[in-house]
Amino acid sequence: MESSAAQPSPGVARLTLDELETPPLSLGQLTWRRFRRHRMAIFGSITLLLMVLYCFGGMMFFSEADANRTDTGARLQAPSRVHPFGTDTIGRDILARTIYGGQISLIIGMTAMLVELVFGISIGALAGYFGGLIDSITMRITEAVLIIPQIFLLLVMAKYFAQSIPNYQFMGRTFSGSVLVIIFVIGITSWPYLARIVRAQFLSVKENDFILAARATGASTRDIIFRHILPNSFAPIIVSATLSVAAAITLEAYISFLGLGVRPPTATWGNMLEGAYNYIDTAWWLWFFPGFFIALTVLSINFLGDGLRDALDPHSRAV
Amino acid sequence: MSKSKKMLTWVSLLVAVSMILAACGGAATQPPAAQPTQPPAEQPTQPPAAQPTQPPAARKVVTLIWTQEFDTLNPLYTNMWFVTVLFPVYACQAWWFDDQNAPVPNLVTEIPSAENGGISEDGRTITLKLREDIVWSDGTPITSADFKFTYDMIMADRNAVSSRSPYDLIESLETPDERTVVVTFGKPYAPWLSSLFAGSAGISIIPKHVLEPVFEAEGTIDTAEWNKFPSVGCGPFVLEEWQSGSFARFVANENFWLGRPKLDELFFRFVPDDASMIAALVAGDGDVGTFFAYSDLPELEAAGIKIMNSFSGYNEGWYINLHPEKGNPALKDVRVRQALAYAFNRQKLVQDLLLGRTNVAATDWDNTPFVDPTIEPYPYDPEKAKALLAEAGWTDTNGDGTVDKDGVELILKYGTTNREVRQDTQAVAQQDLAAVGIGTDLQSYDADLFFASYAENGPSANFSLDIIEYSDSPNFPDPDTSVWRCAEIPSDENPAGVNASGLCDPVLEDLFVKQETQVDFAERQQTFYQITRYIFDNAYWIGLWQDPDLFGFSDRITGVKLSGATAFYNVAEWDVTK
Amino acid sequence: MTRYIIRRLLQAIPLLFLVSLVLFVLMQNMGDPLATMGGRKVTRKEDRERLARQLGLDKPVLVQYIYWLVGNDWTKTDMDGDGVAETPGVRKGVLRGDWGISLVNRQPVTKVIGERLPNTLLLMLTAEGVVLVSALLIGIYSALRQYSLVDNIVTAATFVFYSMPVFFFALLAMYIFSVNFRKWGLPYLPTVGMFEPGAGQTVSQVVWHMVLPVATLSFGFIAGYSRYIRSTMLEALGQDYVRTAKAKGLPRPEVIYVHALKNAALPIVTIVALDLPFLLGGAIVTERIFGWPGMGRLFLDHVSRSDTPVVMGILMMIALAVILFQIIADITYAWLDPRIRYK
Repeated sequence: MESSAAQPSPGVARLTLDELETPPLSLGQLTWRRFRRHRMAIFGSITLLLMVLYCFGGMMFFSEADANRTDTGARLQAPSRVHPFGTDTIGRDILARTIYGGQISLIIGMTAMLVELVFGISIGALAGYFGGLIDSITMRITEAVLIIPQIFLLLVMAKYFAQSIPNYQFMGRTFSGSVLVIIFVIGITSWPYLARIVRAQFLSVKENDFILAARATGASTRDIIFRHILPNSFAPIIVSATLSVAAAITLEAYISFLGLGVRPPTATWGNMLEGAYNYIDTAWWLWFFPGFFIALTVLSINFLGDGLRDALDPHSRAV
Repeated sequence: MSKSKKMLTWVSLLVAVSMILAACGGAATQPPAAQPTQPPAEQPTQPPAAQPTQPPAARKVVTLIWTQEFDTLNPLYTNMWFVTVLFPVYACQAWWFDDQNAPVPNLVTEIPSAENGGISEDGRTITLKLREDIVWSDGTPITSADFKFTYDMIMADRNAVSSRSPYDLIESLETPDERTVVVTFGKPYAPWLSSLFAGSAGISIIPKHVLEPVFEAEGTIDTAEWNKFPSVGCGPFVLEEWQSGSFARFVANENFWLGRPKLDELFFRFVPDDASMIAALVAGDGDVGTFFAYSDLPELEAAGIKIMNSFSGYNEGWYINLHPEKGNPALKDVRVRQALAYAFNRQKLVQDLLLGRTNVAATDWDNTPFVDPTIEPYPYDPEKAKALLAEAGWTDTNGDGTVDKDGVELILKYGTTNREVRQDTQAVAQQDLAAVGIGTDLQSYDADLFFASYAENGPSANFSLDIIEYSDSPNFPDPDTSVWRCAEIPSDENPAGVNASGLCDPVLEDLFVKQETQVDFAERQQTFYQITRYIFDNAYWIGLWQDPDLFGFSDRITGVKLSGATAFYNVAEWDVTK
Repeated sequence: MTRYIIRRLLQAIPLLFLVSLVLFVLMQNMGDPLATMGGRKVTRKEDRERLARQLGLDKPVLVQYIYWLVGNDWTKTDMDGDGVAETPGVRKGVLRGDWGISLVNRQPVTKVIGERLPNTLLLMLTAEGVVLVSALLIGIYSALRQYSLVDNIVTAATFVFYSMPVFFFALLAMYIFSVNFRKWGLPYLPTVGMFEPGAGQTVSQVVWHMVLPVATLSFGFIAGYSRYIRSTMLEALGQDYVRTAKAKGLPRPEVIYVHALKNAALPIVTIVALDLPFLLGGAIVTERIFGWPGMGRLFLDHVSRSDTPVVMGILMMIALAVILFQIIADITYAWLDPRIRYK
């Protein structure tokens, strides 16, 4: 969803009497306890783990060649014993393709999140720590990016970078250069929200006494930012980053669905959907399986993110 | 204040807020809610099937499902096959082409020829004799002045028309009287029949009495209202209504000189994709569809849709990058190129992906009378391919599955547009070529990126690819084409060239120059036999499949014949049975 | 207040310049609009050169941007290709209300967009209405019956819907309610378009065709909004003034709908205003799948043909809408909550 609507938060974790009476626990233990109570977060983590197992463990049963082997004689076959998820328009096995496509989708989600973190944290930290002119310039840029709904920006930028990007070899496999493009494009259009969160954190944390103390003891600016302020801002960043992974996976699917995403031969869940809706009534398995995997993964990550929010920051009963 | 009243106040406040928001959003236009409530002025969209009991009263309507909306209906400006294919419906050309691609007079009394004096001795001057009874749909007579006006508009610098071909080759266009148009080319121009006020690549005349005032007032007809709404036309049908994104209606032209069409209305419904087109046709919500994916054909035929192939000169194939400097050295060897042709099982591809509905293409000119009849496509023979590669020095010395020579692996960059069937073909070809040790690096692009010019760094023009797949039509039904010409090789000096293969073979160039002025059909045909044979033997172009335009017609439509050049040439003869 | 609005508007100006410049430059390299002008044929060399000249595409990007912004009627251009600039320009530029001409069909951009805008607004506003009503109902219900079975089910369901990508919901809905209902002989929903050609564009047809797209557009927002209303309601119900109202012995409905809801609904108004322009984004995928003739499809069609003027027009209109709605959100917020003062 390209919505700025707040995230819903199911099953808000509550401190119980029991928790208050036990001997003091470390922060990590406390967090884990709270997280554990969040049933949906546990469900999300397990599902996500299974997904990762499916995508990466599946490599042991199917080679990449299996995922790309065409057999035009056996095209558009319904799910059967030989092809549990059926075959696509040129007879490739959809089960094998969801495995290899899933890897790319998950990798895109993770790396786009990292790109977003780099941009979001550095810009947010700059603005929040230094304030003044830097703050107003960076915040204007942030506003400028936010002014166009992300999906429009993504489509324009994906097209801009879609020019000849060579395929590249990585760990003995060939990837379409468009994977890099999509990661970069998603990362570079997603950072503003994170930057705002980080900025707000910096603004509030930097006024704390321990920062004043650190400054008084002569700590360098770098030390103050990276060793004092940033660690104290981890909670919202981790939550935001987790949810970003889900957003990136969805966005990849959107632009691939609209025909501007990752190019064949590299499969992703998103580009398996491209064109598949032309077969909505004749070959449902073409769109159902990749679509289902995207939905399930995004759901699990959102659950996980929600659990993390409640666990890391019990005060933020924010919605 | 009572509780319920307060509640009411609050609820109405919410409603008011949302109304204000709504009003702000819609401020620029009329209230959107009112939009769909306007029923069509009459009920002209009523299909005849609704009133089967009163055949005389029923309007005969045929619904066409179009997956792309018209860009503009001005024949000078359209860039779209989905519009040019409709010229025989609403526009008027000097002549149409019939199902044998032979010209049929429309605005002229006869097709110009040497015998009737329509073509001058030197082959440079073409004289069009216009019919006496031709009129625009509003009753204004069509005269030679409309031809002159059309020509002037094409050549006017302020009009950004799509193409000036072949009008920029015309030395003079004169109108000695109302019924005569004399066109003189700078030098004999053989392809005139398929492009001079006629043909799929040509254009149709436009009404002087409507557009001249616009041109005089605004200095251009680029933005004329008529472009979007040609209410005055001269085809068998005239546009009645066009609602952007939804539909367009053409009604019978009562003033059509070749006889009022048998149908009353052509209703075009614009749908966004193939799936909706197929659904509409299968459900009987539409009568005519086109541009089908082959995989949909069985479903359509099961629903009683008759599929008709119309060959309009398109042959899908691989243009091999042979640029003297930028081309892959491996491909300079004819044996390697032939190996590509032998290695790719194109017969199976056509059989499975295209359901055997078409054939493997042998030359860029298949389905024209200009192909040497002795040419047969290279058969699928992977052993032969391997032998040819070995003969050329390419063997797999390091056992990685890909052949190599002097330490260089044979990996070809193979690019095309992101049309589904092309991407599927890439994946299948990759597998077949890998089987003989040829590696491929697949690339696909949006059409506007793929065909971008050299100046814009388009992959089909900057020689960064080794294999370039697409289909280009000659000036159908004329065989003349520019993609093979030396002067069209893109470079810094020539950034708009269209010769994607970068090939400048003197033998070939001489033959192309020769045919250009061969006004005599038989002589020109012989030259083209040599051209096609030469390209085939050298494997400069490797055909994949003959790419006909596919049309589907529901079984209630009768009398349809299709032409390759002007598909709907007999639309006035179409009728519906039920 | 007025000064605040004026200041916000003034601040928006440099922002819009920046955005338009960056987008314009991006778009110049998006693809070659001339590449597909030959229809199914590659555009002829002579035509390419001439069209680039006539449409002003041969100028440097910044010059093109200036022409787009302020027009070119103060200068002359070379139209006939002889190297002499002789023809006075006719473009007035965006600043004077001339958004240029579509490269695809040479129609004025405002007209091209204007034809599609009502369809998108119809879809969007209906969806927004559905979202508000359902979200209020669900949110209030869950808040009043916190941790009940229904609340838990609704919580889980909204979460699932919130996470479900738009296209998957759309495809699934289409597969069930159109394809399979038809197979089972049930009354089925139409898949694409605004109306059946046979029936014409009647109210009932359009409403019938809107069911699936509106459902698709709304479901994610309903999920988000109802969670939001639930929590603001819960918060409001715990406030002192509500307790006071209860203690005064006011009847339950009045406490809930007048005292609690009034304050709980405040943030919703802002969120709705901020979200409205973004619904357009959701409309891209929805319009694409359901063949709705709106702006989203227009955008996709014209992006794929590198039609800079139309794409710029759509994006800048959305940017303007975003800014305007931000201001409107602030104003309504201040109007509804007298405690807030803007300076």
